[in-house]
Amino acid sequence: MQRLEVMPRTYYDSITLMRVAKEITGMEGIENASLSMGTEANLRILAAAGFDLSEINVTPNDLVIAVSGEDAVLDEALSKAKEYLANPPWKKEGGKSESYKPRSLDGAISVLPEANIAMISVAGRYAGDVALDCLHRGLNVMLYSDNVPLEKEIEIKKLAREKGLFVMGPDCGTAIVRGVAMGMANICPTGPVSIVAAAGTGLQEVHVQLAKRGVGTLHGIGTGGRDVRAEVGGIMVEMATERLLEDDEVEVLVVIGKPPAPEVEKKILERISRGDKPAVLGFIGGESRGDRDGVYICTELEETAAVAAALAKGEDVAEARKELDSAEESLRELAGKHGPRKGWLRGLYSGGTLCYEAQVIAKELLGPIHSNTPLKKDLKLEDSLTSVEHTIVDFGEDEFTQGRLHPMIDVSLRAGRFVEEAKDPGVGVILFDVVIGYGCNPDPARELAEGVLKAKAVAGDRIAFVASICGTETDPQNAARQRSILEDAGVLVCESNARAARLASYLLKG
Amino acid sequence: MNERLQDLLKNGPKVINIGVEQFALDLKEQEVPTVQMDWRPPQVESDLLSKLKKLRKK
Repeated sequence: MQRLEVMPRTYYDSITLMRVAKEITGMEGIENASLSMGTEANLRILAAAGFDLSEINVTPNDLVIAVSGEDAVLDEALSKAKEYLANPPWKKEGGKSESYKPRSLDGAISVLPEANIAMISVAGRYAGDVALDCLHRGLNVMLYSDNVPLEKEIEIKKLAREKGLFVMGPDCGTAIVRGVAMGMANICPTGPVSIVAAAGTGLQEVHVQLAKRGVGTLHGIGTGGRDVRAEVGGIMVEMATERLLEDDEVEVLVVIGKPPAPEVEKKILERISRGDKPAVLGFIGGESRGDRDGVYICTELEETAAVAAALAKGEDVAEARKELDSAEESLRELAGKHGPRKGWLRGLYSGGTLCYEAQVIAKELLGPIHSNTPLKKDLKLEDSLTSVEHTIVDFGEDEFTQGRLHPMIDVSLRAGRFVEEAKDPGVGVILFDVVIGYGCNPDPARELAEGVLKAKAVAGDRIAFVASICGTETDPQNAARQRSILEDAGVLVCESNARAARLASYLLKG
Repeated sequence: MNERLQDLLKNGPKVINIGVEQFALDLKEQEVPTVQMDWRPPQVESDLLSKLKKLRKK
């Protein structure tokens, strides 16, 4: 049985809707629950899920609640959904929303006239125009939304450059401004390093790795991954680099991302070389090699942080790199103790940059890696749900996030996939990331550890589980607590994503 | 440098949050001045349902 209810002219953000849907789906007797705005795309998804839409009248401005399951509980599910919308059960004590919320941007500015940035997380098809409105009113922008068309991104960034304002994003999940965590970000000390990042979880990893070395970060300016592509031309990377080089409080500058278009890389290198601060370029898996005149070239995230930390502390960079080499030796020893394992590597990731870095490292040690976001096009998985030989999957890609929370918030898909992978007798190692901090799942290790135990019930000790935690002890989820939950489930937990990817590969390589 | 950018980098963020309210709550927990906007999508009409109904009748 199924039931539909339309709430006319009612709007809630997508994360709230998906959280309520998850709560309702978890009710006894409910098969499926969906809360979505009545857009064409959403109605198609509902129709595909088997809901009969012929009797309802709906516009994109209306909210549609759809539930299916046992007839006796459907009414209760609908009223629970409305109750949760009005009063979300996950809101912390004292975290109540304020009663007055301005409906217009001008109204918001009149409430907070000193506002200097707008954080935008509305649906991608609207987000670009909202960003333009904010820029026209003199506000910097953090654009969390994805699915903003490339042409719109270029238009927004050209306007921002003309006005001398920052646009972080689109698809910028993480930013740090004077130590404040914006979006999905960690609580770390402030200090002499600042970061420009065309890589969301890359920024989180470097931020956390610096903190682990006792070095604080003042700013972490996200630009969105497309900024360093030739079409956008690195507008925001260049602008943020320029501002941070001028900033007296910044002692060491770090720029990270996937390898940029050659002309963008050249521009960044030229600008940094003219500056009077030491700088570290961390282009994951990049071709550039060799340090030059105060510019240090790195190809991994932990290496980038280790070099920047050494520079900030006035220590020898060569020594910092040597320490990483000796850490690699200990990983080989650890692999000897827990290996060798036979078969394939399966990586299940929530962080896009971490997934990319894991592929770069595993490819060097194991050979070709299949993925839904592969390093080379011919290694693209036909179906993201079915692994092939060595596979590393990014669960943050569109096919997993349509109508579903991001895997850093909802870890259930990955926990379920552990069991699916365990059923494949060819699998020897499962590798995964756990990203914590503001904006992420409140206790991801618990659900992931349950998945690991279920997988072990299927595969026994055949499969080794390897993970890293991107987070600190001061994060709301507490990295040390997360680690002990995973270790209790028999997971080998490494100090960084790069180390986890190496250990996973050494276990199979022998 | 643009004054608002300078203020952002020197004095920290003061935020108008448009969209996911959790971000505003996280910022307030860090004592960041934040105002949550009650943003609504622009009013548009959809004709998908009438199309769907027509298809069903065929």
